[in-house]
Amino acid sequence: MEGILQTFGLDWPKFISQVIIVLLVYFILSKYAFGPVLAMLEARRRRIAEGESNLKVIEAELGKAEDKVQSMLNQANLDAERLITEARESAEAVRGQKTQEAIKEAQSIIEKAREASRLEHETAMSELRRDFGRLVIDATSKVTGKVLDDGDQKRINEETAGQVAL
Amino acid sequence: MFAFDNINPLIAAGGINAPEIPALGWISNSIVVAVIVTVGVLLFTRMATKRMELIPGSKQNLVEYLVEFLYGQVEGIVGKHVAPKAFPLLATVFIFILASNWFGLLPGVGTIGFGVTKAPLVLEVMETPLLRPATADLNMTLALAVVFMAVWAWLSISELGFWGTIVHIFGPKGGLQGALKYLLTPIFIFVGIIEVVSIVFRPMSLSLRLLGNIFAGETLLHTMGELGEKIGLPSWMAVITSVVFPLPFYFMEILVGALQATVFSLLCAVYIKLATTHDEAAH
Repeated sequence: MEGILQTFGLDWPKFISQVIIVLLVYFILSKYAFGPVLAMLEARRRRIAEGESNLKVIEAELGKAEDKVQSMLNQANLDAERLITEARESAEAVRGQKTQEAIKEAQSIIEKAREASRLEHETAMSELRRDFGRLVIDATSKVTGKVLDDGDQKRINEETAGQVAL
Repeated sequence: MFAFDNINPLIAAGGINAPEIPALGWISNSIVVAVIVTVGVLLFTRMATKRMELIPGSKQNLVEYLVEFLYGQVEGIVGKHVAPKAFPLLATVFIFILASNWFGLLPGVGTIGFGVTKAPLVLEVMETPLLRPATADLNMTLALAVVFMAVWAWLSISELGFWGTIVHIFGPKGGLQGALKYLLTPIFIFVGIIEVVSIVFRPMSLSLRLLGNIFAGETLLHTMGELGEKIGLPSWMAVITSVVFPLPFYFMEILVGALQATVFSLLCAVYIKLATTHDEAAH
């Protein structure tokens, strides 16, 4: 064995120096390279795992939020439909009420106009009678040449009014 | 026309022994390369991991990718429990061997050095290359294997305990019970002795395999580089062939460098797995 090693160039000082070099590389790489890199890989792996678990939580919360939004939308649609129906009914009721009021007002206006027309007609007829009576009295006094007293004028007026039926 | 009879493989990098650099005392050219590779690897990893962030830069990304990939491989072989303890050594071994192997393919390694000069800055005979792949030196490959075996022994004993390790090697396996267990105990003890012999030879097999492959690669590249000159081609053609002939083998050596780093660390991982596996029947 010794002979083989000598043949292949084994030299103890050189061997020991190479052992020291290998040990130095081993310790320095372990401490300053593999340790930090493995720690970083582990930190990254943990971060990814946390991210994935957070993603699941977020997905679950998103699902809940979407359900909630959907239920709120459904509720809002129902409320909106109800409000529209109520508004439509209310508008219908108001319209009917206003129509009735308008009809009543129109009838009242027509009634008042009719009454005013009747009163105006009666007034005109009364004036006409009076004017006609006076014309009859004037004509009678001119025809008869007689001055008619108050009693005659009253009687002629009454008779004229009684005979004139306008 | 061509003199094929005189073609012998050129022993690369000054021979199988890593020669000492004249001006540096006992320090060999492979130690110089080992130091350069060490400084290079450490500087790069330090730059990549100095300010680590959750969103990595290009250097950090490369180191993280390499570490993650290697950790996955180690974990797949030795298991989740042992992986954190075994990974630093196995990753160190892989990265160091890979860097050393590929460093040997850089221009100037094995071709710049000291020797008999025929003109200023031109060598007639290369005696001591300035640089030599660190893994083409038994001192380095054996150092790697010995450090691994020390960590392997510590891992085995820390996982199974001292007595547990003895039982693991020599004890009956396969959950044998009753008379059969005692009947086969001598066989298992004999198998244990063979196992111990194989364990003792592991550093040698690991180191010589790596040394042989890398040194053979260096030798191949040197031989192919000087083939044109050796077979008597004109000097202008020899210059061209010194580039063309080794080129395919450079690509092969890139592959061999990666393969040998993988084989060495893979075997180490398997040895750890074999030594730290709990016998299910014992629990």
